[in-house]
Amino acid sequence: MKQPATARQMGLIRCHTCGKLAFDAGHDGYEEHCPRCRAHMHMRATNSLSRTWALLITAAILYVPANVLPIMTVTYFGSGQPDTIMSGVITLLQHGSYPVAAVIFIASILVPVLKMVALLILLLSVQLKWALDDRQLTRMYRAVELVGRWSMLDIFVIALLVALVSFGSIAQIISGPGATAFGSVVILTMLAATTFDARLIWDKEVTDD
Amino acid sequence: MYFMSIEDDTLSLRSIPDDWIACKDCDLLLEHVDTPLGEKALCPRCDNPLYQPRQQTVERTLALTLTGLLLFIPANLLPVMSLSLVGQETSTTIYQGSLVLFHEGLYWTALLVLFASIVIPFCKLLLVLFVSAHLYLERSSALLPYAFRYYHYLDEWGMLEVYMLGVLVAVVKLKGMASIIPGIGLYCFVALLLVTTLMSSLLDEDDFWKRIEQALKRQLR
Repeated sequence: MKQPATARQMGLIRCHTCGKLAFDAGHDGYEEHCPRCRAHMHMRATNSLSRTWALLITAAILYVPANVLPIMTVTYFGSGQPDTIMSGVITLLQHGSYPVAAVIFIASILVPVLKMVALLILLLSVQLKWALDDRQLTRMYRAVELVGRWSMLDIFVIALLVALVSFGSIAQIISGPGATAFGSVVILTMLAATTFDARLIWDKEVTDD
Repeated sequence: MYFMSIEDDTLSLRSIPDDWIACKDCDLLLEHVDTPLGEKALCPRCDNPLYQPRQQTVERTLALTLTGLLLFIPANLLPVMSLSLVGQETSTTIYQGSLVLFHEGLYWTALLVLFASIVIPFCKLLLVLFVSAHLYLERSSALLPYAFRYYHYLDEWGMLEVYMLGVLVAVVKLKGMASIIPGIGLYCFVALLLVTTLMSSLLDEDDFWKRIEQALKRQLR
């Protein structure tokens, strides 16, 4: 029985931007730019693994200040208290706002950690040719791509709170340096998901044969 | 199942058949088979959604983009909400949050908020307006592929729906502290969010690319 072919095996490149198929280098009809959208053509994303590693490691390092440094300071009738991401969740729990505490916990703590772990598994499985279920790995990759942006939630909440709560000595909310670190973690992991080329998961199958 | 696997024995191609496609996530080569409108074709190997044809995609996208641009101005200039505490009242618009962060010295975070909630959503609307208006009027421009490409790149960096959730969380956080009054800007923002979400789900990227390709070919002739 014949095996289904990939574009690469047939000497074709799929444009990463618009999806158009074009001939790979070496063929008469080869062009450096996509014939349809003029984007630069690559068989696979350039240096996908090293770029993703670099972004992921940077994100992991910044994850520490993002959680240790205060993201904002709430001053209420003179008594100020710096809040980190985790202490914000605990405060919400103490006030009984369970659903919102859960949303913040998922978006700001669970998702970033799971995303970094997922990217680590993806990178290692490609690099070390782990015999994992490729279909599941690809699903995991798509989940990482999909949920990444929702971690920006806390940053938007801070932007709203600092603008609204400015009642001088009565009540005041001021942003903290943790917000910058956290925002960077979100952006870096989103970029890492973009630079990772999911087709690499399937490529290792071919070289094993 | 709306696909056909292409098997390994058709090598030495002279030209690439128009109905061949490859999966974005696993590179499997497939033959495009028409699906009923609105139904998603999935990759048989990795489940990636391959395409989902939409009815009258250009007309609908154009209409929604124009609506979105109209809503954009009040949604960003009018106050999203006001807060009142012992006789004092403060209110905020979307850009003011970014402005305050900038004054407090968090320049990078301020820029992040500004781009994700205003600049990128606005650019996306403008780019889609440019492309869909050209396609609707059957005009061609050498800029079409560039405009649509940048829309594709910017797509995931506009975060209106995350901002909306942020508004809800902020309301709950402030609930015990002071009284909150929703502003007209908030209603405009909700409408803007609905319109842009609908726009991106009714925009058929594949169909747009094919039409752009045709428009460029017509121009060459």
